[in-house]
Amino acid sequence: MISASQRLAAALKGERLDRIPVFCNLIDQGARELGMSIRQYYSRGANVAEGQLRLVKKYGHDNLWSLFYVGREAVMLGCDKINFPDDGPPNVADFIIKTPEDIKKLHIPDDIYSHPEFQEEIECIRIMRKETEGRYPVIAYLTSALTLPCILMGMEKWFKLLLFGPAELRDELLNKCCEFFRKHLAAYKKAGADVFLYSEAFGSTDFVPMKMFREFCLPWIEKDLEGVDPQGMVYYCGSSRLNPVIDAILERTRIEAFYPGPLDDAAESGRILNDRALFAGVFNDIRLIEWTPGEIRSEVKRIITAGMKSKKFIFGTSVIPCCVPETKIRVLLDAALEFGVHERR
Amino acid sequence: MMFEKIKKDYLEAVFDTDGEKAMRVIRDAVAGGVQPEDIVFNVVVPTLDLMVKAFAENMDANLAQHYMTAQIASDVTEEMIPKFKKNPASGGTIVIGTAYGDFHSLGKMIVSGCLKARMIKIVDLGVNVAAERFVGEALAAGAHVIAISAMMVHTAHGEKGCQGVRKLLKEKNLENKIKIIVGGAPFRFDRELYKTVGADANADDGVTAGKIIENLIREVLE
Repeated sequence: MISASQRLAAALKGERLDRIPVFCNLIDQGARELGMSIRQYYSRGANVAEGQLRLVKKYGHDNLWSLFYVGREAVMLGCDKINFPDDGPPNVADFIIKTPEDIKKLHIPDDIYSHPEFQEEIECIRIMRKETEGRYPVIAYLTSALTLPCILMGMEKWFKLLLFGPAELRDELLNKCCEFFRKHLAAYKKAGADVFLYSEAFGSTDFVPMKMFREFCLPWIEKDLEGVDPQGMVYYCGSSRLNPVIDAILERTRIEAFYPGPLDDAAESGRILNDRALFAGVFNDIRLIEWTPGEIRSEVKRIITAGMKSKKFIFGTSVIPCCVPETKIRVLLDAALEFGVHERR
Repeated sequence: MMFEKIKKDYLEAVFDTDGEKAMRVIRDAVAGGVQPEDIVFNVVVPTLDLMVKAFAENMDANLAQHYMTAQIASDVTEEMIPKFKKNPASGGTIVIGTAYGDFHSLGKMIVSGCLKARMIKIVDLGVNVAAERFVGEALAAGAHVIAISAMMVHTAHGEKGCQGVRKLLKEKNLENKIKIIVGGAPFRFDRELYKTVGADANADDGVTAGKIIENLIREVLE
């Protein structure tokens, strides 16, 4: 029987097994599976592992997430106020950088792997690997140097520093964030994750003009990824579009996979990439709230039909909101598993 | 003719996210004898309107441009108002904040920056604002509009956000006196979501929100 890991490995090489890989980003839903509050669920790596394993068994998709919530990095760097809602992802509730002096004081731990706050992630990955024996790729979420300040000082203050300076202070913060990213990546690799989602909101022209992307952001992206083994690295801009920057990223980095935003056109991603790298056709998850089962199936079919013209293609979701009922998740996944089957040659 | 040249240079600087150049254009104009009132009402506000039009026609506008537009409009207005010959007429009042459970303040800041130039009084309630507080503060301030920013699906869609505000306005029979506008990423990914959660309007970006809020205030006052 073909495993999810084999399916992904084949897609990366442009080979065809039974069907395309189907990545489904069910994160907070693990708490519901275990009958726990969001706070309780994320307090232990064992909970997250169990939640992810149950979700994969239930819906049949091809990926396991080691992500707890965006904001864990801030916790590792000293944030002690996280908002845990009942019905959505946890959220940084207080920023550790409030003044320029806080940037100077920001200390990046020498070793993230042995950091007390990383131990639950290690346990989560250990359990997932043991239970699945490598049959499923375990995904790690990593925040780029340019994006990390958003959860350390808030978007508003970060934009001000980024666009108005002072440049020296901005670069001091970025150097520290770059150091954190590289150490965080090393820790996830040591823990046994297989796929590394490089989350770079400022790597999209939805965030910054193309001129700024090329002249300012791209060099920081290069610095983050300098000397990094490209195996398993995925370029991702949150929900923002990335088709306009694909060529630049391919020219300047060794990235081998792209996870576009839901507003990127999968057919266009395929045309730009022309099988030079793997990409996902990404479903706009928010529409699951309103769409009928028929509309969901039709949209899944449209994305997969467009994407499967390329050899290196997977189907994916953005992040499915907690309020989406299980019946609709089932419709989405069943459609992806059905339409993603390769024709026998 | 002179205003056209100033407007052109200012617009170019804002589009290029060149804050220094934008402020230089304004200061040169003032030094050249242009009245502070004309700077705000005949340069900054028309430029905001041109930006709204450009953003509507051009999908490539980005968050940095929105931020820069608002920041510069706010800075110029703050610098010019003390130099006005008389106090400007109020364009109405709004209360603004992020939805309950939401700590993302950038959108709120962009909207506020653009409203300042339109002489609209802003009561900023900050982040993580409960529905009851939105309505209570709107009543206390005599606000015409409640503006709710939500960057996460659960804060945009949840009953503690806009839906809760709509429920309270209905219960208090205030729906004709106070309008609701929402904004934030979830509303861009689902164009109909604002109706689902009971808002009167939605804006794709903070700069456009300024114009829509101006229209909503007019609607209430009429």
